[in-house]
Amino acid sequence: MKTRKLENWVLGIGSLLAAAIWVFPLYWAFITSIRTEERVVSEGAGVIPDEFNLSSYLAAIFDTKLLTWYWNSIGTSVIITLVVIVSGMMCAYAISQMRFPGRRLLYGVVLASFMVPSQALVVTQFILMNDMGLINTWAGIILPQLIVPVVIIVYKQFFDAVPKEMREAVVLDGGGDYTLLFKIYLPLNWGITTALAIITFISAWNQFFWPFLVITTENQMTIPVGITQVNDAFGVYYARLMSVALLGAMPVAIAYLVFQKKVTEAVMISSGVKG
Amino acid sequence: MMGVHLRNIRKVFGPVGVIHDVSMDIPAGEFAVFVGPSGCGKSTLLRMIAGLEDTSGGTISIEGTDVTWQEPAKRGVAMVFQSYALYPHLSVFENMAFSMRLKRAPKQDVHDKVMEAARILQLEEQLEKKPSQLSGGQRQRVAIGRAIVRQPKVFLFDEPLSNLDAELRVQMRLELARLHKQIGATMIYVTHDQVEAMTLADRIFVLKQGVVQQAGKPLDLYDDPDNRCVAGFIGSPAMNFLPATVLGREGDCLRVAIEGTEASLMARVSGDLPAGSRMTLGLRPEHLTTADAGVPVTVEMAEDLGGVSYLHTHMPDGREIVVEWRGSRHAGGGEAIKLTCAPEKVLVFDEQDQRIR
Repeated sequence: MKTRKLENWVLGIGSLLAAAIWVFPLYWAFITSIRTEERVVSEGAGVIPDEFNLSSYLAAIFDTKLLTWYWNSIGTSVIITLVVIVSGMMCAYAISQMRFPGRRLLYGVVLASFMVPSQALVVTQFILMNDMGLINTWAGIILPQLIVPVVIIVYKQFFDAVPKEMREAVVLDGGGDYTLLFKIYLPLNWGITTALAIITFISAWNQFFWPFLVITTENQMTIPVGITQVNDAFGVYYARLMSVALLGAMPVAIAYLVFQKKVTEAVMISSGVKG
Repeated sequence: MMGVHLRNIRKVFGPVGVIHDVSMDIPAGEFAVFVGPSGCGKSTLLRMIAGLEDTSGGTISIEGTDVTWQEPAKRGVAMVFQSYALYPHLSVFENMAFSMRLKRAPKQDVHDKVMEAARILQLEEQLEKKPSQLSGGQRQRVAIGRAIVRQPKVFLFDEPLSNLDAELRVQMRLELARLHKQIGATMIYVTHDQVEAMTLADRIFVLKQGVVQQAGKPLDLYDDPDNRCVAGFIGSPAMNFLPATVLGREGDCLRVAIEGTEASLMARVSGDLPAGSRMTLGLRPEHLTTADAGVPVTVEMAEDLGGVSYLHTHMPDGREIVVEWRGSRHAGGGEAIKLTCAPEKVLVFDEQDQRIR
């Protein structure tokens, strides 16, 4: 009994320490953002917050293009999420439920594309976007991000698990594939749709590398790319930089807090698929 | 021609044939039951009538219309599945209304028809519930209700009671029989449970390996089976089969020697079988009685069910014979008795398992 108590204490303290290490960068970003620029670089600025100054936040909102970047991030992320979920769901439905020549091959291609790292495609995708005249446009940000095989694979697994009789009952009731997908399969799998939508949104929101390559004008930048401009335009203004970063991360953090359970579920499902 | 008519129906899965040249006529309003062991093709045949399986050959007509290549929804059939196949995210009302909603039927019509079905099935109190909140019996009633709302020409039931416990099964069986009487529609019912077949059917079709072995009224099949398969499948406990050899004719009966014993039995058969012919005798447990002379057996175990007991006995060579015993309670195992059967009750099957009458 005593050994178990001790074990609990050790584990508890260990977890707290680990959590503190994880949370420290965020904490540091926060206390930096509420200091004046002078205080940030002055000697003796420790980990204890010694002032509460929102000037860097006001500067971030009014002196940078933060609101434009917000709009770009929201617009591109919402479009990516919608298209990825709807197209992934329809593709998975076709592969799971319809019988047509080349069905297995198609699924094989989906699986194979899952194995190609996105970085390997960057150069070709950039050339393609350039040829299509989509550099510095939302379409340029969005198009390469629409291929998310894991969504198809997860949906397919869930659709496969719906009993065959359910499909047959709908067919006998006079329903076709549209009825089946949108009135039966989708409502039956709302949980997974929500989970996939959230992780797709978060991943699109946090995307840095591709938008950084394809966007060069400040007006088309998303938040993660825009942060680099804060640095460039104003020298090294740490407080302002941190407030932009925190404001940029806020929607995702709020989404995560609200949908915590769903996000965990989605990560577990998709990592299960990844094996 | 009203009802359901199948002509030379065939079904192949790749190189494997599962339904072979099946023809049958089910008059309108009749309760037909397809029965047979697992893998006999009964469910496949039902699914072919529903249109859920393509037909490899032959024609299916419902109410005089050839529906062989028609879409399932246009055949005028409704199916009740073993697993109920209810839509879990919809309420009982919406489950039953689903087909009408797809047809964009007027709201009042939908409401009236669902309420009528709910009244017939006593589901009025459950309409707002989700299927997960219902018991097995209630779920099956919802599935039947969903079929009733469609007002089909033919109801198809694919082992609908298999998922229910024994007591509920008996209750639902009676409800189905009542429902058939009430709405008078043509019903085709698939089961492997011969008790369900006997109690529900106007006409039973016994299938084996994709071939109809015999079709007829339940008691006709029971009393006068065409072959060993039907004789063995209809009746519970199953018929006893004993290999035997013809000794000779005595009047309108044959005297046959039971293999593995010194005993012989008389069987009333008009067909001519020369002495020495090998055959199989079919003896129903309820037709066996004890006698001074007969097939010697030892009682191994008695199943006492109260009004009736089933004696599980074995012959000297180990073959089992089940005997139905009424009246005085049986004492138990180990007892040696001799069994006989009235000549007119003894069924005779030739070496190809066909009945000799």
